[in-house]
Amino acid sequence: MIELQNVNKFFVTKAGKKYILKDATFSIPSEKNIGILGRNGTGKSTIMKMLGQIEFPNSGKIVSNKTFSWVMGVGGGFQGNMTGRANVKFVCRIYGKSKEEIEKSINFVKEFSELGDYFDMPIRTYSSGMKSRLTFGLSLAFDFDYLLIDETLSVGDARFRKKSKEALMKKIESCNVLLVSHDMKTLEDICDVGIVVDGGKMQYYENIKDAIAKYAEINKRAG
Amino acid sequence: MIAKRSSFKIFLAVQNALFLREVNVRFSAGKLGYFWVIFEPLLQIFIFVAVKMMLFGRNSSFDYPVFITLGFVGFNFFRHILDQTMGAFNANKGLYAYKQVKPIDTIVSRVLVEFLVTSIIVFIFVLFGLYFGFDLNVDNLGMLLLSFIWLTFFSVGFGLFTAVVSTFYDSLKKVIKLVLSPLMFVSAVFYSMQDMPQALKDLLYYNPLAHFMELIHANYFTVLNDDFVDYNYMLMWTLIPLYIGLWSYRKLEKRIISL
Repeated sequence: MIELQNVNKFFVTKAGKKYILKDATFSIPSEKNIGILGRNGTGKSTIMKMLGQIEFPNSGKIVSNKTFSWVMGVGGGFQGNMTGRANVKFVCRIYGKSKEEIEKSINFVKEFSELGDYFDMPIRTYSSGMKSRLTFGLSLAFDFDYLLIDETLSVGDARFRKKSKEALMKKIESCNVLLVSHDMKTLEDICDVGIVVDGGKMQYYENIKDAIAKYAEINKRAG
Repeated sequence: MIAKRSSFKIFLAVQNALFLREVNVRFSAGKLGYFWVIFEPLLQIFIFVAVKMMLFGRNSSFDYPVFITLGFVGFNFFRHILDQTMGAFNANKGLYAYKQVKPIDTIVSRVLVEFLVTSIIVFIFVLFGLYFGFDLNVDNLGMLLLSFIWLTFFSVGFGLFTAVVSTFYDSLKKVIKLVLSPLMFVSAVFYSMQDMPQALKDLLYYNPLAHFMELIHANYFTVLNDDFVDYNYMLMWTLIPLYIGLWSYRKLEKRIISL
């Protein structure tokens, strides 16, 4: 269960406060794979970050007894001067993994991400596709209740996309996923339920298909 | 499943990860990273000692190279901690993507690394000193170590304050950097206050770092005393920035993370 209690989140812009969530009270049932839909700039990524606890509501609370992964996003989330290997080590250490476990994780991530020599190069030399391969591979080495995925499945070449989707399908047998995507096919394949974010509100749909339909309607209305 | 850990356990895990990362960064900057971390202060001290000897000759009642080494170790310790804490929030931004890593953790780990680096440097200096037969006798070792610990709190407090403020007002960092460059000359690093004229003493009194350096000198050398040192003044300069720094950090932590 993920519970939002009177959550307000806004950004101050020159034109005044821009609300992403306005007094949102909301609960998301457990054991569901959740797709988040919305037009660009409605705050999907911000909501993901709030669930990953690296962005915080201006007021209100988000309560959950589940564990969340870090947000796997296309941009950012990496320290550019660290190598891929150093980054994997770092994350394993902050989660308190032992030496042997770290060694295992490194081998796993190295193999999965197919970075080759780049695995020992600074992350700033990576393309965005390579970054998401690394962060995705890394997240597979942990057992979270929820994976937070922000569009990363749609980068990389077709072969790797297929591979990561397969890996994810296997992974979600033992965990759940919160997925932001503009790819309706991916959403439909992976998610059970949907949330549509629009105009500072979140609308929950029991069936991902209804969410997709609603999203299509919003898009049509906006032209 | 990922087990729930106490926040102290998480803190330790994060410190372990950050510490190893910082050590890696510090000692691998460019080629010969290890070498320069140690050699740079050595060279700096050597030049100062040589210049002083040539200009003024040996005229002290203690080993001047030892005096100046102590001064530079103390001053560099302060400067590095301030520098490292000031820049910590920004330098580790990418790591806040992991919720376990809080900005203040990066300050703690950087201070620990600085302790390690300084200890290694001191160890090497002591070996040098013993080999060349300098008088390394310490007047009061316990008090000397306490002085360094106090200096750490002073540096961290000031650095934390600067780090928080300069997250929102970048100019402060620039001002501090500007002040830092001539600070060495007015902080009793390579001279003792007792040799200075009264007018200069009165002026330098306002520099808190001069008090710290004098305290360190007084605890190391039997022939030097702490007449100049105003403990209350040092305490003020330690507690006020530390308090304001911690207080504003608490208020602004979330904004610093999501910046």
